[in-house]
Amino acid sequence: MQALLLRLLALDRRWIFLLVLISVMTPIIVPIGLPVTTTSSTRSAFDFVEALQPGDVVWLSFDYGPSSAPENDPMAQAFLRQCFIKELRVIVTALYPLGGLGLANQSVAKVTAEFPEAKYGVDYINLGYKDGAAAVMRTLGQDIASAFPTDVNGRPVSEFPIMQGLRTIRQVDLVFTASTGLIGEWWITQVYSQFGTPVIIGPTAVSAPKYYAFLNSGQLVGMLGGMKGAAEYENLLAAKHETLGKYYRGTKDFTATKGMDGQTVLHGVILALIVLGNLAFFLTRGKKAGAA
Amino acid sequence: MRLTASSLAVLTLLLGAVPAGAVAPVTTPPPPLELPAPTAFVAVDRPGDGGSAILLTWTDPTPLPEGTVLEVRRSEPPADEFAALQTVKPGTQRYVDASAEDGKTYRYELRVRGAETPDSLGIAGAVGPALVSDPVSPHDNWFRPERTNSLIASILFIALILSSIAAARSGKPIFIRRIAGLNAIDEAIGRATELGKKVLYVPGIQSMDEIQTIASMAILGHVARATARYGTDLDVPNRDPLTFVSARETVHSAYLAEGRPDLHREDMVHYVTYDQFAYTAAVSAQMTRERPAAIFLVGYFFAESLILAETGQSTGAIQIAGQADPTQLPFFVATCDYTLIGEELYAASAYLSREPVLLGSMRGQDIAKGLLLVIGIIGIISVSLGATWFMDLVKTQ
Amino acid sequence: MNTDFGRVTLVVLFAIVPIVGIALGMRAPALRSKIPLLVAFFAGLIPIFSMYIPKRFLSGDSGMSPRLDQWLIIVAGFALLLGLTNVISNSYRKISRRDKGWPYAIVLLAGLFIMGGFGIYGAISRQGTGFLPNGSPTPFRWVETTVFQPLQATIFALLAFFMASAAFRAFRARNTEATILLVAGAIVMTGRVPLLEFLAAPFPALHPAAAAASQFMGKATEWIMDTPNGAAQSGIIIGAALGAASMGIRVILGIERGYLGLGKGE
Repeated sequence: MQALLLRLLALDRRWIFLLVLISVMTPIIVPIGLPVTTTSSTRSAFDFVEALQPGDVVWLSFDYGPSSAPENDPMAQAFLRQCFIKELRVIVTALYPLGGLGLANQSVAKVTAEFPEAKYGVDYINLGYKDGAAAVMRTLGQDIASAFPTDVNGRPVSEFPIMQGLRTIRQVDLVFTASTGLIGEWWITQVYSQFGTPVIIGPTAVSAPKYYAFLNSGQLVGMLGGMKGAAEYENLLAAKHETLGKYYRGTKDFTATKGMDGQTVLHGVILALIVLGNLAFFLTRGKKAGAA
Repeated sequence: MRLTASSLAVLTLLLGAVPAGAVAPVTTPPPPLELPAPTAFVAVDRPGDGGSAILLTWTDPTPLPEGTVLEVRRSEPPADEFAALQTVKPGTQRYVDASAEDGKTYRYELRVRGAETPDSLGIAGAVGPALVSDPVSPHDNWFRPERTNSLIASILFIALILSSIAAARSGKPIFIRRIAGLNAIDEAIGRATELGKKVLYVPGIQSMDEIQTIASMAILGHVARATARYGTDLDVPNRDPLTFVSARETVHSAYLAEGRPDLHREDMVHYVTYDQFAYTAAVSAQMTRERPAAIFLVGYFFAESLILAETGQSTGAIQIAGQADPTQLPFFVATCDYTLIGEELYAASAYLSREPVLLGSMRGQDIAKGLLLVIGIIGIISVSLGATWFMDLVKTQ
Repeated sequence: MNTDFGRVTLVVLFAIVPIVGIALGMRAPALRSKIPLLVAFFAGLIPIFSMYIPKRFLSGDSGMSPRLDQWLIIVAGFALLLGLTNVISNSYRKISRRDKGWPYAIVLLAGLFIMGGFGIYGAISRQGTGFLPNGSPTPFRWVETTVFQPLQATIFALLAFFMASAAFRAFRARNTEATILLVAGAIVMTGRVPLLEFLAAPFPALHPAAAAASQFMGKATEWIMDTPNGAAQSGIIIGAALGAASMGIRVILGIERGYLGLGKGE
């Protein structure tokens, strides 16, 4: 027994890796469909957007790369769907250097195909990528056209009705940043703190704990923490707007809600390993003390 | 004119329509809707900005009819004719004209404009009397008044640091608490020397504009001097090109300072790649192949922190990590032998060198932290008592 | 003081002064360490001043502070060339000496030149690195989406495996602090996902209890994230910010010189 416990304590990590692989893959092959509960940070974000009026302007920034796309893509797409169904005007940018623009283009193409009545240049616009995120944000407070003189296709922004009368980011009603790394924090310190524009952040789960401090101090109006936050947002969206339910229920596409199945099983496996490890630790420690 | 039978009949009908003895009332046309004028209309250069903006303020007249707005008009040379600029909802009482040009003189006109839908009198878009401002010209300013409290706090902080440095220079002993991670640096390098293996130093993935990277370079200098002294191999893979250049110079200078230029090799400090995860893969592979005895993960890391730290842990190396940003700290704490948390990273150069000047600045920083604690407690008490003036005093923009 | 004044000042401080410094440094080595400190002094002061002084020559769109940001990006671009040269020379040395793992150096150089070549071709042919007019991807974009992006996602996905192994090893109740870490971690891991519902799924009688327990764990998780976590994060952020400000002052004033490779007394 002692030998077994000691072997458990010194378990080769590759067995753990195998367990992780099985626990994540199984729900993908055999979906479970577990319920998703909503946290207050996601609820605040959702309610804030719901309170906006048709014609209000929102700024959606794709500040992440392919590595965190499984977490950030669902939140960005859910937000975009909500904007279109509420007839908000959306300005899309990408400030993440490696792959941000490609992901922005993919998500915008996907969601706008679902809303054929949304017109480019009138209801939404893609301003593309700009380098130097913090410097760009400072410039947005002076003059948007200085930071983004053309859209992603190279046309001057002054040609588009959506940009008429919109000079600075102070006139925008909300900034939503799906982000990884520091860029999300810069939206808070450079845009909200300097210009007062409300910010909702959708960080990766790893960065989410840091943003609770900003949430509690009122510097954020809401937060979607990782894939769980994205799943919560999808849930709220499907419940509020029935017509959007088809993108989240019974769809073959990857959604954050589906991803939560794998995460749930994985959490269970890790917890089980922790419990086993502690049991083995205490039992062997007791036996060692007894032997001494 | 000959009266025909038909016209006679019409006349009779008309006369008959008027009741006998009735007199048609005399009606006067209704007076035009008189809209009130706003008061206290002032146009000034917007204070504390970089120019190109005029701030208009006024007091709304009361009462204002339903649906009315306030219309701002502007005249500029050479035409000097007023043209519509913006309409503002009642209650706002301010407007910033951000399209003004520096050096040009403008005049503004403000008036109440009635609702666009016809009122009960059939009048739509009526305008009230206009107020005209004095000529005003925008320009950039020398100071942002909304940041006064921030400026005072900054000056106080710098004064504290400088006075603490001056006190330290005078020979006053300064206590600094034990930081286990920094004490372990020599132990880690010693272990690597005994085992005949290299020391791997990863200076974070951010550039030299990040203060944590600068702190990392200071620690790298200390580590490089130690490896030069003991003759231990050192490897510094870099993700950022500026950090690579700085690390190369730091290591080279350290070896020269220790009088061991013969031990220094150009490929000790090398550039890997700018992509975050390609860099992570390369460094992880290097750890697995070369099995360094001591690994330093000091600087600004993001998601790759756990991959690097866990890979290093699997090789059996002693690991010392350090980051000021709290996001990745839990991973370092879970996987590394020693972790420098938050400002311990910035204290490293003072702690390792024991230079009085640097220790003095740490003391000044700690005094500032104490003052911030006091301010925080006062803030909590004042907000709990419902007094928001203190929060307004310390709020900055 | 207009924008031209700002431009001239920047050129003097960050171009002429360093060049003069290098020239002087060749004659008087003692001066070699002084000029970088002078450059650091002005590079630190300008952004600080621009925080409080909105004058156009300093803080405007083409003022000194934003220009300095742009120059940093340009300098980083040149430094990237240095890094590139270093990678190529190291890989070449490895191949020529047949050092351990030299075939991988060939793979590295092949990847570097192929992608670099595609990028340069895209620039010269004006196709760019996105999509061609007919909607098909350029070679650069094709390699990026089919090779680079999946590789990036794969390395990031390793986190899940490493997290599990790190949790198994680190979450042991060795002492009081470790026990607190363990309990908090267990509550958060349980509260963030519908784990209790999942475990109770085969037992219908337990469903209501599982749902209630899951809700409780969710609330406990929110409390842990909001209160102790939020407080600790705020404390570390504030302390680190003060440390960073202090370090910044030391760098600007030339008290901190370790990043230049200068030691005590240098």
